[in-house]
Amino acid sequence: MAEISISQEEFLKFREFFYRKTGIQFEDSKRYFVDKRLLERIMETDSGSFRNYFIMLRFETTGDELQTLTNLMTVNETYFFREEYQFKCLVNSILPEILGGKKGSGPIRIWSVPSSSGEEAYSIAMYLLEYWPEIHHCDVEIISSDIDTRIISQAKRGHYSARSIVNLPKELLYKYFRYHDGGYQICDDLRQAVAFTKVNLMKPTDVRGYRDFDVIFCRNLLIYFDDLSRRHAADTFYDALNPGGFLCLGHSESMSRISSLYQVRKFSDAVVYHKTKETK
Amino acid sequence: MPFVNPKESPATEHDERKRLRDCASLELQLTDPSPAARRWAAKDLANCPGATSALVAQLQNEPERSVRAVILTSLTELGDDEAIAGMVACLRSEDAAIRNEAIETMKLLPNQVSPIMANLLDDPDPDVRIFTVNILESLRSQNVEEWLKTVILHDDHVNVCAAAVDLLGEVATSASREALQGLKERFPDEPFIAFAADVALKRIDTP
Repeated sequence: MAEISISQEEFLKFREFFYRKTGIQFEDSKRYFVDKRLLERIMETDSGSFRNYFIMLRFETTGDELQTLTNLMTVNETYFFREEYQFKCLVNSILPEILGGKKGSGPIRIWSVPSSSGEEAYSIAMYLLEYWPEIHHCDVEIISSDIDTRIISQAKRGHYSARSIVNLPKELLYKYFRYHDGGYQICDDLRQAVAFTKVNLMKPTDVRGYRDFDVIFCRNLLIYFDDLSRRHAADTFYDALNPGGFLCLGHSESMSRISSLYQVRKFSDAVVYHKTKETK
Repeated sequence: MPFVNPKESPATEHDERKRLRDCASLELQLTDPSPAARRWAAKDLANCPGATSALVAQLQNEPERSVRAVILTSLTELGDDEAIAGMVACLRSEDAAIRNEAIETMKLLPNQVSPIMANLLDDPDPDVRIFTVNILESLRSQNVEEWLKTVILHDDHVNVCAAAVDLLGEVATSASREALQGLKERFPDEPFIAFAADVALKRIDTP
């Protein structure tokens, strides 16, 4: 059987298609990464050529192959208590402000996206339990979403390697995890504290229901988007936030070049973005 | 534990989107009294290729910043000539926020705005010419230096030239050397021009 290859033209065609579907833009430097995964799927699906595979990908009605490919193309690398200063900011500044302005008895809603394998969402839950005494007086909902269905299953399982827990204080490791099957299994109470869902931020039908959040964590995702997709994401988060809500980005990301809708708030622990109460 | 797990349904109970979603209805909703309804209409109109006129018309009159932001994102996605013309019209707005929003949006459309850059740099309004130079800043077009050179060679307005020479400080090559020297001579009484031209010249001479 002749070796299957992907031409530059085919790569560009795929890149454009994948960008339109997911908002994820691959630079030329990622060519090897993309080709390797595409070839894997071409072989796996017995398509025989990029052309046949691409036709199948574009015209399949179920979207299953696109989801499989998306799972392969996304980068899922994170760990517990990554960029911990923002969690400090959450408990020291953000939540007190939200609680102070909260009308009624509804829960505080936190959205962590992308979830990756769940480390961020579980870190938030742990941080609240450990460092925010008010948690015992109000309800909190933590929802965590990702485009990659495979990684969501992993997040729900809550089983981690030593690499994921490297930054976690030992006492919290002993308190919330048990050593099991060559890794660390998070306790059931924490697993039940987070709802994991599948979301494509670029798909209006996916994000429509995501509303009334008080805090959104979207860290180290926008760096993979191009300018237009970043604007879409900024608009989506704006609609998802309550007036007075906060958006936390990764340390190398800034909203100021993406959207003027948010007010920059400099707290002692972190810089975050605020949807002011006056907004409609 | 004090956590409430909403299971697989993160959506809140109420749904503000109970209006029709076809293109004609969405255009009508652009003038809805509710900013949220206008924002959602503007967002969904990105999928309606004929919606540019309605979006542009609303952009000019829209008082709510968050709605304008979504209109501009949708116009960016539609990206046709009329959308670009709508953004250019915003450059003439008396409202600084609208002007800045239009500038930032036009920076996202290098392929669509590059063909009109020369015309905009020739606009009778010096403010529009300055904003055009601001847009050039992020166009990454091969023509940027040439356009800026034309400005500093021929534009009579000192502030337009100041904006252009400031940017030349970042992008100038030896091709701009004579024009930069000439600029200092055209505005001998303007210390900023001399300073910025020298910075650009120094950059050219620094390997």
